[in-house]
Amino acid sequence: MQRKVTAAIMIIVLLFTPAACGSERNEKKRFEAEFLRLFDTVTRVIGYAGSKDDFNRQVNLIYDNLEEYHQLFDIYNSYEGIANIKTINDQAGIAPVKVDRRIIDLLLFSKEAYQLTDGQLNVALGAVLKIWHDHREAALENPEAAALPAMEELKRASEHTDIDQIIIDQENSTVYLADPQMSLDVGGIAKGYAVEQVSRLAEKNGFTQALISVGGNVRAIGIRADGVKWKVGIQNPFDQNGEDISKVGLKDISLVTSGSYERYYVVDGKKYHHIIDPDTLFPAEGYESVTILCPDSGMADALAKVINMPYEEGLALIESLPGTEALWVFPDKTVKTSSHFKDFLAD
Amino acid sequence: MKFFKRTDLVIILSIVLISAASWGIYNYLHEETPAKAEIYYYSELVKTVELGGGEDRTFSIPQNENVVFRLYQDGSIAFEESDCPDKVCIHAGKLRRSGQFAACLPNGIVMKIVPQGTRGGEDTDLVLGN
Repeated sequence: MQRKVTAAIMIIVLLFTPAACGSERNEKKRFEAEFLRLFDTVTRVIGYAGSKDDFNRQVNLIYDNLEEYHQLFDIYNSYEGIANIKTINDQAGIAPVKVDRRIIDLLLFSKEAYQLTDGQLNVALGAVLKIWHDHREAALENPEAAALPAMEELKRASEHTDIDQIIIDQENSTVYLADPQMSLDVGGIAKGYAVEQVSRLAEKNGFTQALISVGGNVRAIGIRADGVKWKVGIQNPFDQNGEDISKVGLKDISLVTSGSYERYYVVDGKKYHHIIDPDTLFPAEGYESVTILCPDSGMADALAKVINMPYEEGLALIESLPGTEALWVFPDKTVKTSSHFKDFLAD
Repeated sequence: MKFFKRTDLVIILSIVLISAASWGIYNYLHEETPAKAEIYYYSELVKTVELGGGEDRTFSIPQNENVVFRLYQDGSIAFEESDCPDKVCIHAGKLRRSGQFAACLPNGIVMKIVPQGTRGGEDTDLVLGN
């Protein structure tokens, strides 16, 4: 009799094992939201919440804050009653501009990133980037007439890219561009920085299981409700339809992929993408894509500029930073990673 | 004294059978589930297409006929034509696997690939490549 009871108990235990090791049953449900109006890209929020209303409240908080960052960091448009990066550019060589604390913090962070990346992330590169931007826009309007910027024009502009000419007065909360011909372009860091700030805010507000992506700047908050880390695939730049080049599991970490394959324009059959190397003043050509893993999304964005560096130099930088990993895809399809990237691979 | 009693054998066999079944069920539940494409127009889900393969056709959504989608034989789907200036949506290429997505910002259209049934443990949350 006792044996039968034991057998029955074992059978019951075994029957429940798959569910038990597969997932913890949780009250929270999974929801997703997308919006298209911010930072000229797609924002995706995936997260767990007790109800659709709870999720919507979290998403609204994220949207509202991202929108404020979007307006403050905009270099092309002005907004009623807001002094933003465009205002600072418009006042270059004229007068300091009183700005929101969030702009001061971004620029201080950008100066740190400049030091760290040995000048590869330079928010003072606006004069050069504007020339490329204008050529790209013109090519979109009229692809037949697509042309490259003249090297002389780029060189002249590059004389006005000294980051030390950004004068930040923290006490009075002002920013002044001392060189009248310089301009700020925060495109290489603003999205990542905003994602980091908004993620911290959302987490404080109780959004503890979420994945936020703003145009490829991904930030994981906690893990999924089924106890599995957030699974993010890194698309194969040579074969978008094929298997991912890598798949990582994320917990409280950021991921950014910088690549040359979607935002580009074509001149004489050759693709020119939007990541400009400050040394050559031309698009970087060393890699098809670079992926960075690091705790802070703003720093991840900045470090993606290793795409402009020779591999050994970029690797040395990544290896010197705690909790930071990278994956490089070379034009010959070779893939290289930093030493502990493998610790993040998902099954 | 016999080494095995008949009841022992029954118990052992039951355990083996149930373990095998559990393993099967576990694997079934944890395989990547078949995918479908969801097409959103300004955050409203306007079309769902199963990505089973075996079909080659183009279609549009009634909200904007200038944007043409194409479903391929191999079960992938892509933005085929669009009147937007930057064509970032078309450059995104063919999508087939859960977690992939593409968007046409100027036209307010997002296409994302999600699992057809209940999401399993192995399903990817997001694929980066833009």
